Amino acid sequence: MSAVELVGITKSYGDNAVVDDVSLSLPDGSLTVLVGPSGCGKSTTLRIVAGLESADSGTVHIGDRDVTAATPRQRDVAMVFQNYALYPQLSVAGNIAFPLRNAGVAKDVAAQRAREAAERVGITKLLDRKPRQLSGGQQQRVAIARALVRTPSVFLFDEPLSNLDAKLRVELRSEIRRLQQELGITALYVTHDQEEAMTIADQLVVLNAGRIEQRGTPHDLYRTPANTFVAGFLGSPTANLVSGRIDGGSFTADGIRWDVTGPDQAAVTVAVRPEDVLLRPDAGGAGRFELVELLGPRYVFIIAIGEQRLTAVVEDAEVARWARPPVPGDAVEVTVRPDRLHLFDEGSGTRLPAAKP
Amino acid sequence: MNTSRRLWAVRIALAVIAIAALIPVGYLLSLSLRPPDDVLNSRLWPTEWTLTNFTKVFDTIALGTMLRNSWVIAVGAALLAVVIATPAAYFTARRYRGERLLTALLASYCAPPIVAIIPLFFLLRYAGLTNNLLGLVVVNGIANVPVAVWLLDGFVRRIPVEIEEAAVIDGLSVVGAFRKAVLPLLWPGVVAALLVVFFLSYNDFLFAVYLAVTKESQTLTVGLSLFQGDRNVQFGQQAAAGLLGIAPVYVLALAAQRYLVGGLATGATK
Repeated sequence: MSAVELVGITKSYGDNAVVDDVSLSLPDGSLTVLVGPSGCGKSTTLRIVAGLESADSGTVHIGDRDVTAATPRQRDVAMVFQNYALYPQLSVAGNIAFPLRNAGVAKDVAAQRAREAAERVGITKLLDRKPRQLSGGQQQRVAIARALVRTPSVFLFDEPLSNLDAKLRVELRSEIRRLQQELGITALYVTHDQEEAMTIADQLVVLNAGRIEQRGTPHDLYRTPANTFVAGFLGSPTANLVSGRIDGGSFTADGIRWDVTGPDQAAVTVAVRPEDVLLRPDAGGAGRFELVELLGPRYVFIIAIGEQRLTAVVEDAEVARWARPPVPGDAVEVTVRPDRLHLFDEGSGTRLPAAKP
Repeated sequence: MNTSRRLWAVRIALAVIAIAALIPVGYLLSLSLRPPDDVLNSRLWPTEWTLTNFTKVFDTIALGTMLRNSWVIAVGAALLAVVIATPAAYFTARRYRGERLLTALLASYCAPPIVAIIPLFFLLRYAGLTNNLLGLVVVNGIANVPVAVWLLDGFVRRIPVEIEEAAVIDGLSVVGAFRKAVLPLLWPGVVAALLVVFFLSYNDFLFAVYLAVTKESQTLTVGLSLFQGDRNVQFGQQAAAGLLGIAPVYVLALAAQRYLVGGLATGATK
């Protein structure tokens, strides 16, 4: 059973279609992440589910109710905002209890449940404070407690971690994931950060220019991106996209000749992830190291080859086997793992069926 | 060294400005403490000191009634204007094309109020509200709605819209969210608007002089003007009346300074 079902959602501001015919179902108890560049319509889609925006066309169902025309309060959703949106005049306890008090829950019962929610996110010591006395991370914990205090039908997260520093982001995202799984509440989560999206999603939806580019498990999207956009968007560093042609089992582009397992194709774009680029320092190699960065356990290299710039990620242990650590200007032989290449039609950007090796 | 010298320069400049601003009030005080013969000698300080102006002025004009009238009108007008302006400012700040209403309101405020006097007079007479405090409350209150809306609009805009959205998602209607989430953050703005409309109405002369001419309904500003045109102008008493009129207002302004500046929404969101 799906907890939330969007069918044919479209939303335009003037002539600008922000959300363009988006259909999506959120399986019960799952966490779906909408990810995409800014302006891709992910936040608007979330706000349409919340009832803060109305769609121009299409329907929204929550459970078996059609809530397309319902106000936010009728939808039984809870939302966590990027800027926390706490009520500054209320204490932490008052903030968390606020949705309960609005629902007519008695004061002492609401206070007790607020305390339990605060316990879940580890802020019981802060209950008497005012929001302005808290750090950003603490404020967002309060907002999360406020969202989960009344066990809503759907959790909505709108870039909840974007205002926090990197360390706290990693910490809170796993906590959000843990809470969501513990409570088993269906969640829709919006972020522009593909790493955040990959790590917490059950279902990952990549949006671009108001349309769904692809959806599936993070693993599926990473391994079999449906088009060049998804291939280029997911993964860090981003995948290398190289345009060329396939002829007799080899892919050729400016300065590049790789063996591939695909049918002949005149105009093809190859996506190769940085970890699938294989390097062998060789004075006769066609590539040149242009940039060498050591990120602890692995190196990131930028290799110039012909007109192309390729990003390669190589484990430190591998580099240690080379004669010496490379420096910019060193020649290198560049190959790729043929079974890990993604082939796309250069014109449409859609995935070409892979030929079996 | 350099910064502390600059700081002193700023302090001295501020002191000069403050003194310059206070000179008229100081001279008013000086006038109010002189007997009539000492008034026209154009000295800065009285040659003879007296407090009789402050007692006699109550015999010359109905100062008590006038003060009371001015306060009633100013308080009433402030309340009326802010009751209308608060939801209006919410609209201008938040709703689609709300700023058009703000533009229209401010445009109407730009017109000289005297052009409205004749229609206002007949409207009030029709309603039986000439020479009546309620009449001046209504006129001053409504006339100052644009200022109050303009002021409150800025305060509403400073409240993050997500707080309202959170409130709506947390189970409140739009009106409920305004009342429980927005209004508590809007208090400094409401107080500021109350004060500004209070001062504007308290200082009004034009409406009062045309629309309330009876002794029972005259305001302080009208009363002060009555000193002029007598054969024997009582400058000392006029100064005393003026001081009695502005003193409580100055105290009010000082006491409420914080509200004219502060804002509560700091720290609500990042």
